[in-house]
Amino acid sequence: MSIFGFLATVKLGEATSGGGFWMPEGASTVAAEVDEVFYFINNINYFFFALCTFVLVYFAIKYRLKPNHHSGFSHDAPTHNTPLELTWSIVPLFLVGVMFWLGMDGYLRLNESPEDAYPVSVTGQKWSWTFQHPEYGVTEAGELTVPLGRPVRLLMTSSDVLHSLFIPAFRVKNDVVPGRYSSLWFEATRPGQYRLYCSEYCGKDHSKMLAVVNVLPEEEFQAQLGKLAREYEDIEDRDLPVYALTRLYNRCASCHSLDGKSGTGPSFKGLWERTKNGTTAFTDGSTLADYMRPGGEFEVPENYIRDSILNPQHYIVQNYLGAMPTFKGQLKERQIDALVLMIKNMDRLVDEQGNPIESPDLGDADISTGAGQ
Amino acid sequence: MTGDPRPLEQPTLTDNYLTYTRGFLSWALTLDHKRIGLMYLCSVLLAFLLGGIFALLVRTQLLVPEGLIMDQDDYNQAFTLHGGIMVFLVIIPSTPAALGNFVLPIMLGAKDVAFPRLNLMSYYLWVIGAIFMVYSIFGGGLDTGWTFYTPYSIDQNSAMGGVIPAVTGAFILGFSSIFTGMNFIVTIHRLRPKGMTWFRMPLFLWSIYATAVIQVLATPVLGITLALLAVERAFGIGIFDPTLGGDPVLYQHFFWFYSHPAVYIMILPAMGIVSELIAVHSHRHIFGYSFIAWSSVAIAMFSFIVWGHHMFTSGQSPLVNVVFSFITFSVAIPSAVKVFNWLATMYKGAISWNTPMLYGMGFIFLFVIGGLTGLYLGTLSTDIHLHDTYFVVAHFHYVMMGSALIGFIGGLHHWWPKMIGKMYNENAGRVAFVLFFIGYNMTFFTQFMLGSHGMPRRYATYPADAGFQMYHIISTIGSYMMAIAFFMMAAYFISSIFGGRRAAANPWGGRSLEWQCTSPPPHDNFSEQPEVGDCYDFSVLRWDEATQGYVWREDVDRPGEKSHA
Amino acid sequence: MTQMHVQSDGHDEHGHDHPEFLAHHWDNPVQQFEAGKLGMWLFLATEVLLFGGLFCAYAIWRSNHPELFKYGSQFLDTTWGAINTAVLLVSSMTMAMAVTFAARGKMKAVAVSLVLTLLGAGGFMAIKYVEYSHKFHEGFYPGMAFYEKPNASDLWMPLEETAIAQKAEIAAAEASDSAHLAAEDVARAEMPSPPADSQVWNQPEAGIGPQGLTTNNEIMEMAEFSAFLPSSVLGNIEDQPEELAFAEHHKPGEEVHLSHPLQDPERPVNAQKFFTIYFMMTGLHGIHVVIGGIVIVWLLWLTMRGRFSAAYYTPIDLGGLYWHIVDVIWIFLFPLFYLI
Ligand code: HEA
Ligand code: HEA
Ligand code: HEC
Ligand code: CUA
Ligand SMILES: [Cu+2]
Repeated sequence: MSIFGFLATVKLGEATSGGGFWMPEGASTVAAEVDEVFYFINNINYFFFALCTFVLVYFAIKYRLKPNHHSGFSHDAPTHNTPLELTWSIVPLFLVGVMFWLGMDGYLRLNESPEDAYPVSVTGQKWSWTFQHPEYGVTEAGELTVPLGRPVRLLMTSSDVLHSLFIPAFRVKNDVVPGRYSSLWFEATRPGQYRLYCSEYCGKDHSKMLAVVNVLPEEEFQAQLGKLAREYEDIEDRDLPVYALTRLYNRCASCHSLDGKSGTGPSFKGLWERTKNGTTAFTDGSTLADYMRPGGEFEVPENYIRDSILNPQHYIVQNYLGAMPTFKGQLKERQIDALVLMIKNMDRLVDEQGNPIESPDLGDADISTGAGQ
Repeated sequence: MTGDPRPLEQPTLTDNYLTYTRGFLSWALTLDHKRIGLMYLCSVLLAFLLGGIFALLVRTQLLVPEGLIMDQDDYNQAFTLHGGIMVFLVIIPSTPAALGNFVLPIMLGAKDVAFPRLNLMSYYLWVIGAIFMVYSIFGGGLDTGWTFYTPYSIDQNSAMGGVIPAVTGAFILGFSSIFTGMNFIVTIHRLRPKGMTWFRMPLFLWSIYATAVIQVLATPVLGITLALLAVERAFGIGIFDPTLGGDPVLYQHFFWFYSHPAVYIMILPAMGIVSELIAVHSHRHIFGYSFIAWSSVAIAMFSFIVWGHHMFTSGQSPLVNVVFSFITFSVAIPSAVKVFNWLATMYKGAISWNTPMLYGMGFIFLFVIGGLTGLYLGTLSTDIHLHDTYFVVAHFHYVMMGSALIGFIGGLHHWWPKMIGKMYNENAGRVAFVLFFIGYNMTFFTQFMLGSHGMPRRYATYPADAGFQMYHIISTIGSYMMAIAFFMMAAYFISSIFGGRRAAANPWGGRSLEWQCTSPPPHDNFSEQPEVGDCYDFSVLRWDEATQGYVWREDVDRPGEKSHA
Repeated sequence: MTQMHVQSDGHDEHGHDHPEFLAHHWDNPVQQFEAGKLGMWLFLATEVLLFGGLFCAYAIWRSNHPELFKYGSQFLDTTWGAINTAVLLVSSMTMAMAVTFAARGKMKAVAVSLVLTLLGAGGFMAIKYVEYSHKFHEGFYPGMAFYEKPNASDLWMPLEETAIAQKAEIAAAEASDSAHLAAEDVARAEMPSPPADSQVWNQPEAGIGPQGLTTNNEIMEMAEFSAFLPSSVLGNIEDQPEELAFAEHHKPGEEVHLSHPLQDPERPVNAQKFFTIYFMMTGLHGIHVVIGGIVIVWLLWLTMRGRFSAAYYTPIDLGGLYWHIVDVIWIFLFPLFYLI
């Protein structure tokens, strides 16, 4: 098995360029530095590992109990040697001192974000990431677009439990804590797509709380964000449902299916039917119809969908926990409208199995959102 | 000096502690430390089997990227219970409570531990705690991870209903552990025989002592933390819950203040065992006795001030991180001292390659890997990358399973003849070791690679195109090999009870006092308090073909030993 | 354990001077006694550490939210607290007397002292009962029962409030103390003004104070980022209770009579936390008093049955140690909650 270990030694030469046998290829300014520290420790560890293993095996063989040696064990071999003890305490002490120093040095640099970093605010919630670009007024979900060669600073918080944002290629990670801000910075050095994981356990779909970091050269980056900024403004009302399905639904997908299977939350399939008819039952025993009477809160049924997105804890659907986070402040008005329309027109958007239909026919779709009524 | 009859004395069927009295109640209500130790042993091994089954479920799930056998919720419960059971029910009580209980008073030439009733109570507390733990599976499920991090664990909408039973269980187990620790400290202070000064104690006792100090000092804090957690979850008091103005990171401080020392509760007794194994089976005086003894104490002390290294990415201040990183490295030095002294002990020894020694050597090999990988984690900039990945999983399996548990298994092989009075099949033992050793490294060495390439832990599924699957497959195959090895072990241990050869009083050639009473020991251990010599001077023993054990040499004086002529 | 009386020189099957109270694994009574004592001290150490966790929590809460403690402690009745302290101190004394009498073999006096101690324990619990029921009557419950728990999503607001307070504090430190309120206005002016459609924030209990580990910098940065925060954050700031200012225009110890704390307009955010830690610490202490009482009853029973003598009274000695630690813990609790 230690074959692996020796393989790694062979690869040592590449260490300083980041990556190598032990590490994934690096794509940020700090990656190479972190890898250097890693391989420094690695070399020391190989040495001590080899030393201990060699001594262990050598002694075990050399001093094997001879068959006729079952009695008369000698009592003269030395039982202590203080200079030796001191040597093997002080040498490792010195070495760990160096390790500590290198690690601290790198860490402190990892910790101080440059003044002019490009800001992104990040919200983690079960089980998706939302990235907001204040400079462009753009919100992305599941994908983070960042410029190449410019420091980027993430200011992160969580709206439910702990999460942790981890981008292996950049060698950065920080916990995302509810009720508090934490931050992280990096400067990407290679364009491309990199994986982003949630690395702090956060419940059921922890392992699906993934995202992609999209590193684009400066001009492309600006073009892309400009496009995203105008994205929904340019859309015809009639296209909003499709827009919601392709661009927004991924934030709901971890809990709401399209094929009728219930997950953490009820499926979107058939949801509108239930809502329209007021048959949805809540945990407190009431049904939606109770609130739909004239003058009631949901006289206009669309308002119930809206309310579910903004104040999910108000009415908890029977057989489910109040696990849905609020999207208040994370979706613009028009995006909420789009979601409402999507749910209303679900039957036209997806087929029986819940697969999106290519260019669905929305010619006669009901595109009233209930607002203003 | 004529041959001393006492070490050769064969136990009669009615004379040993196993047969002293009969009937279920004579066991259930026994105050005999040996019986309590044996009861612990059976319970702990049962818990180990349960924890192992959960481990195999975890491994099987990860064979394919989308998960082979479970949905997410089930997987989360599987690793939580695996971790919880292994830590709280298996590894913490294994060496101190099971082996320690059996061996410690005999090593001291005493008749029992200081407080036998308290000892029995500890055992039943363990049982009650275990019932709570297992109940948490059915009473709603437990999916928080063994760390119970807030706010997940206190959120009614997230974590499942098993949190309160589980923390109640851990709370009770904590008290079981505290009482065991108290008992051992007092026993070592007050029941050492004449002539056994502190620096003449077998090293196993030193490490049990250091462990007991940690148990007594750290566990109450876990108790109160878990109590706070349960109250927070039940009543919403607002200490850990951010929606009520609490601080979720505070919980982590409280938790690791116990749980970091707890990892040394696990490793120290195993280190003590290994000191015995290496010396006895090399038939060579232990090297650097006082350095090994003091390093146990040093580890125990340092262990209280490094807990923050589990929280480098939690958002605590950089200064705190730097300080914790610095102190973390200090623990490495006493550990290094131990490793080098064990190696030096083997120098010019007469090493028997029997099963306990194989585990002793296996321990050194695996602990060096596990310990050295702790250094990447203690280093700040690399831990940022490695935290909460499989690299950490691999690190702690090397130290917990590869070291702490293997020390325990080695000790079990070492003292099994003493406990049961029968020898197990040596060849089967060696084969099982080899199988275990290969399987072990296949399982966990691959996880270092997984981790450093970015595979986060506690993942029920993983991206198919990230290059993780190959490692997972090797790892899973390794875990099956390990399982086979453990089942072999169970088989030859059990068959030795019925068909094994009668064990001599001293089958390995040990010098500490437990080898001077019969195998298995009589109810009262010693009819007369034995006198104490240098417990690592093996030159006074010789092999006796007739009994297949070691006896005193007739031709040398036993320094410090009362003559029994 | 069924013998009716035990004497140190009593008959026993172990031969020589092996009195019956001596368990078989001890050589002599001194060894057994010393072991018992060491064990008890270790146990007391774990007790101290158990409370230590709570004292730690107290310290952290108090340093994060001093105003809550200022506000809450005025509702505790110092007179009852002081009486209780005295009761415990006296019972500690009678316990010490029991031990001394036991050493001299005066078993009747031991019994009397134990009864007195027991009365102390009972008295203490009775007073605690009065105090607790009074608190419940006034509506002070621990934890969530104090009022409804807010949503996770409502977290944002108080952070904002904290930012204001922090900015105000920094500004105030730079100017002078008297300018405090003015500084707060400045801080408010610097905050982005609320959008027209914002709702009025009406869940003041969702307070997040400056966390132990949150740096000022982060809070300041947060204020800068607030433009991109959810709209709920930008609720009507003016309506917030001024927790920091509270302590200043409210004399501590001033009589405040209310039918329910929720109706107190000056109640700071998260006032229930004070009562939570109060009930938890005094409650855990109360449990210890009850356990102590049970131990004393047991000792009394054994004393009456003639189990103890001048040669053997270890349980009384150890019970005494336990009782003293219970007392000592109260000595710390009393000032922490009632006085400061
Ligand atoms: C028995 C248990 C045990 C032991 C003994 C150790 C020993 C050590 N551990 Fe480990 N650790 C765990 C159990 C243990 N650990 C567990 C369970 C976790 C994870 C918990 C969770 O999150 O679920 C963990 C996690 C963990 C972390 C947090 C990682 C993270 O989550 O990001 C860190 C960081 O510093 C760490 C460091 C160390 C160090 C420095 C040692 C040292 O004591 C090691 C010292 C030993 C040696 C160094 C080897 C021998 C020496 C030589 C051969 C000589 C040469 C030496 C030098 C050159 C220095 N451990
Ligand atoms: C001492 C502690 C201990 C031990 C021994 C083990 C043993 C094993 N562990 Fe465990 N593990 C933990 C402690 C331990 N683990 C902890 C604390 C965690 C973290 C949990 C969390 O994240 O919350 C963890 C997490 C963990 C993970 C990560 C899960 C994840 O993050 O998603 C994995 C994955 O491979 C794993 C695998 C295994 C395997 C294959 C074994 C195997 O080696 C098991 C083999 C054993 C058997 C198959 C049982 C056979 C037994 C008998 C037959 C009984 C009779 C025996 C005798 C007579 C000797 N463990
Ligand atoms: C973390 C899981 C989760 C996410 C993410 C999530 N939801 Fe939900 N949702 C739930 C749960 C659980 C319920 C049922 C309980 C309740 O009513 O609050 C629910 C209920 C609903 C309902 C009411 C359903 C009914 O049957 O009446 C609507 C509408 C809804 N969600 C819309 C959305 C939209 C739109 C999104 C994405 C923008 C979303 N949800 C994201 C968990 C989630
Ligand atoms: Cu979010 Cu894990
Ligand atoms: Cu640790």
